[in-house]
Amino acid sequence: MNIRRLPILFVLAAATLAAAPGPATLTIHARSPKGEPVADAVVSLHPLDGAAVPPPAAAGEVAQQNQEFTSYVTVVQAGTRVVFPNKDTVQHHVYSLSKAKKFELPLYNPGQNESIVFDTPGLVTLGCNIHDWMLAYLVVVPTPWFAKTDAQGLATVTAPAGRYRLELWHPRLSAALTQEITLTTATTDQRDFALTLKPDRRIRRGGATKSGGYR
Amino acid sequence: MAFRLFRFRHFSRQLLLLLAGLIAVVQVSVYLLVTRANQRNAREHIGQNLQVGARIFQSTIREQIATLAGSAKLMSNDYATRQLLMQEPLDRITLKSNLNSYLKRVNVPVITIFSPEGEPLALTDYLLGTENVGPFRYLIHKAGEQDMEQASDFAYLNGQLHLLVVVPLFAPYPNIAAWFGLAYPIDAKFAGTLKEITQLDVTFSSTEDGARPRVLASTLNPDMAGMIAGYGAARTTSAQDIRTVTLGGEPYVTLFLPLPLLGDDPARIALQRSLTAELAPARELENVVLLISLTALAAATLAALWIARGVSQPVQQLAAHTKLVAAGDYSRRLDLPREDELGQLASAFNHMTAGLAERDRVRDLLGKVVSPEIATQLLQSDLQLGGEEREVTILFCDLRDFTTFSERLAPTEVLALLNRYLDRMSTIIEQHGGVIDKYIGDAIMALFGAPVAAADAPARAIAAARDMAHALDVLNRELAAEGKPGLAFGIGINTARVVAGNMGSRTRLNYTVIGDGVNLASRLESLTKDPAYGTPIIVSEATLSALPARPPARELGEVQVKGKAKAVRIFALTAKGESTPPYLP
Repeated sequence: MNIRRLPILFVLAAATLAAAPGPATLTIHARSPKGEPVADAVVSLHPLDGAAVPPPAAAGEVAQQNQEFTSYVTVVQAGTRVVFPNKDTVQHHVYSLSKAKKFELPLYNPGQNESIVFDTPGLVTLGCNIHDWMLAYLVVVPTPWFAKTDAQGLATVTAPAGRYRLELWHPRLSAALTQEITLTTATTDQRDFALTLKPDRRIRRGGATKSGGYR
Repeated sequence: MAFRLFRFRHFSRQLLLLLAGLIAVVQVSVYLLVTRANQRNAREHIGQNLQVGARIFQSTIREQIATLAGSAKLMSNDYATRQLLMQEPLDRITLKSNLNSYLKRVNVPVITIFSPEGEPLALTDYLLGTENVGPFRYLIHKAGEQDMEQASDFAYLNGQLHLLVVVPLFAPYPNIAAWFGLAYPIDAKFAGTLKEITQLDVTFSSTEDGARPRVLASTLNPDMAGMIAGYGAARTTSAQDIRTVTLGGEPYVTLFLPLPLLGDDPARIALQRSLTAELAPARELENVVLLISLTALAAATLAALWIARGVSQPVQQLAAHTKLVAAGDYSRRLDLPREDELGQLASAFNHMTAGLAERDRVRDLLGKVVSPEIATQLLQSDLQLGGEEREVTILFCDLRDFTTFSERLAPTEVLALLNRYLDRMSTIIEQHGGVIDKYIGDAIMALFGAPVAAADAPARAIAAARDMAHALDVLNRELAAEGKPGLAFGIGINTARVVAGNMGSRTRLNYTVIGDGVNLASRLESLTKDPAYGTPIIVSEATLSALPARPPARELGEVQVKGKAKAVRIFALTAKGESTPPYLP
């Protein structure tokens, strides 16, 4: 019910925005071929007309809590400083071996806030040296116009009118999807994507909270 | 005595029992031998499999130890872990979370880290508390003392059987900075894996609570596993032991192998395979053998019945025929168209019947032709017919003037009268044990004491002569009544040693006697014609002398016998005048 009503809400919202000249709104709906909503899909709009890109506004954050990263997928504009606060009870040793940014934050205690600036666009896969199951993706994009689908598979990007290359990425997608899109001022566009995802191969966390199935 | 219990009235049953019994004995023996051999083979085969299974188990354990030790060594060289261990003070919580990470890497449920002194630094929370680290500490102590790069053993963690391995963290080698301890559970999954490889049922059991055995892990159902755990639990065996254990009515060949365990609680592995399952292919063979046996038995029974019928039917025929022959019926013949011994027997039997009939016929005929005594002697064939000298009393009897008598009658009447006369006289002679030697026209020659010797032959001859005279009187009265003329005869009797035997040609023989004594008897008969003697019966002195009691007799004087120097004294049997009939002494 909600899913069906949402587009209507967005249409209403777009109509409100269209009253005054302003940015266009794009709604993305990511679903699996079976129709199940796909969360954590990253959509970004790359201007094709050489439009000026504003610098990054806020800092990003990938926290460690309960021996997991929060959140699983984070999108930041290139040049953003990302903080890795340890909100846990144990130490962590965050690292990445990705091309976009190779780094490590050696064992640091709960309460410490380490931060790193990510300049190069690309995918940064985050891990923890002492907790194998900890995994997070930091997607660094050269544009401020991006969004991440929520649990309903919906994401909304607001950007100035113009021609863009739309990129859609997901951890379990074999390659990013791209398409050209033209946004018109004060309109709302919606794109549906049927994503064929690979199996989830994350390490299941052992021991800590379960008794291992013995007795 | 036992033999009497089985008295067979029918040959067929005997044969049936014999054949069927023999076949049954052979088949039962074969069946039992096959079954026993199969059982023995199955046991041996299972025994070998069990030993292979035991070696596989031991080799699996060795591999597991090597794997665990290798994993522990890799862990001990993990940089991040070393960083964690370097921190002062030690962050035990983080270290534990780090160990949890390793659980997945090395796929074991328990990982521990101890200080070089054996103090537990961190343990994955599978272990409920430090009370379970005893076996690890024992191993660390042992490895440290013996300067080993690893140590392993079986031990209980929370009552569950585990394989423990401890490996030192060298920093740097050979300085021991910490100990890694890993535990691998010997559980149902492990038992299942072992069963998959060995095709044997696997049971791990302990007797840690004193005498009460406990199943640690098993591929059997809980009841059977409990029985295996309890089997011979009180007995402590140091080496592997193969036994047959009956579980749920099914025999299982079982190998018990004690496990070296830390501490005093014994544990053991039992590997087993169902004998019934192992024998299943052999059972098929046994069933085939059984089927063949039963078929052979049925065939043997039928064959025995058929053969018995073939034998007993003709035998019954023969028996019935024998009864007929015994009853004197020689007319029937057996009809057995067979080539075998029974056919030969039937043929011989027919010959015998024919022979018997022939003999009967001959005996009948002989009795008519010769006197019954001679006939009997001839048939018995024990008579010496070649001629012998013996004392015989000879009686001659001749009718007076029969020639003139016969001229007055028709020939048929003559013969009828003669036969009537001869019949009566012959009957009397035979009644007295005399033998008709021959008829010479109207004369009779009879022998007493031949061919069968008789001591009282002279007395018999005289008694016969008297009866003959009496019989003649009777006959004469009959003839007179018929209006016919009477008859008169003369009798001469002599006793002498004569030659007796069969005389004649090769094809025709007569039993008779010859000698002077015979001639004398004939002569005496002729003398009765002389009216001077006035008697119908003349007896020689030799005969009278041979009598045990000399009867009254009238001496008639002496007669000169041809060829003899001495005269012979003769007597009339009547003491007085002629009027007295000779038959009244």
